[in-house]
Amino acid sequence: MSTLEQRLEALGRELAFPATPDLSGRARSTGRPFPWRQVAFALAILAVAIAAAFAVPQARTAILRWFHLNGVTVERVDTLPEAQERAKAGGLGRRLTLDQAQRQLGFHLRLPPLDGAPTTYVLDGALGTVILRVGDRPVLLSEYLARGYTLLKKSVSQKSVVEPVTVNGERGLWLEGPPHTLTYFNTNGEFQERTVKVTGNVLLWTHGPVTLRLEGRISRAEALRIARRIG
Amino acid sequence: MYDPLVVDRPLDEAELVERARRGDLEAWETLVRTYQGIAFRTAYLLAGNAADAEEAAQDGFVKAHRALGRFRRGAELRPWLLRIVANEARNRRRSAGRRERLALRAFEENRPGDAVPSPEAALLAREGQQRLLEALEGLPDDHRDAIACRYLLELSEEETAAALGIRRGTVKSRLARALARLRESLEAEA
Repeated sequence: MSTLEQRLEALGRELAFPATPDLSGRARSTGRPFPWRQVAFALAILAVAIAAAFAVPQARTAILRWFHLNGVTVERVDTLPEAQERAKAGGLGRRLTLDQAQRQLGFHLRLPPLDGAPTTYVLDGALGTVILRVGDRPVLLSEYLARGYTLLKKSVSQKSVVEPVTVNGERGLWLEGPPHTLTYFNTNGEFQERTVKVTGNVLLWTHGPVTLRLEGRISRAEALRIARRIG
Repeated sequence: MYDPLVVDRPLDEAELVERARRGDLEAWETLVRTYQGIAFRTAYLLAGNAADAEEAAQDGFVKAHRALGRFRRGAELRPWLLRIVANEARNRRRSAGRRERLALRAFEENRPGDAVPSPEAALLAREGQQRLLEALEGLPDDHRDAIACRYLLELSEEETAAALGIRRGTVKSRLARALARLRESLEAEA
């Protein structure tokens, strides 16, 4: 080892590092380690089910078109699945502080500039939602980290508008029109589904590894304006 | 959970990993406590500030816990953890784009067992370290990161490669170029 290398090692021992925080109580995912094998198995079953659905002529007409966006599938269908209307903040998960939510989610929520701390909800430790205000209307901003499988599925009717958009240089989709349904697959490996009816318009887009979803009674221009302020 | 009647010796790493895989949170926390120091310091040098380093280390451990099922049995845990935490730290630096300057420990802060040099010798050594630190801060990020991991943190070549997300051969060549630039910089100053 050269003298310079020795000097560098000695320098490392003289650096003023900040004190190491104790991470042991908070450096774990909720519950057990993610069950990759079960998920792979479930995905295999899902693939077989989809293949089977397309093999049946009547079913082939049911799913008219698919759009994919980082873990979200939007499908245009003849008939919407049965769904319950979602209460204002119902079905959004546990109400937490922004800090608690971010720790549980394991990533920073991308937010527009806000006056105060937003009301934040976390569903199954994977889907974070904050309630924003546009004028006097509530708008839901939901975010999750894409992990290579579908977490959200939207079913829209033939009358709905589904248009590709660009938000800050990244891909997105604008959904507008009659109510559509949102199916959320939880991440505990059991693929339980919850389907809710959504009456507002929706903007979906990606920001690096995070997928964002803005939902409410907002116009496309309003949604894009909010999305572009999210850094 | 540990059973003191059955387990009367410290569990080795492989046993702790196996228990953590099966959902034993206490075993996982023992592993976190073992590696949080080096993980946090690595994140600090790569992210460039303490707040981002803490988040990167925490998020890295959360992701590692979630991904334990994919950790190859028999592999070394430390490089694997460092790779995940360092990746979080590098992402944060890219998005934040800011870095605190590194600093030396307080002058009078001698560690127990340190030989005490004369005040003049200590001052000279201190100035030399300060010059070296400034020269290091002047290097491009990829050179600085390689030196920080390999020498300041004393990571092995394999761990340095894992932390920087590059191959071992690239670590060697990058270090050689970084050391050459550092020498040039120090000589130009002298």
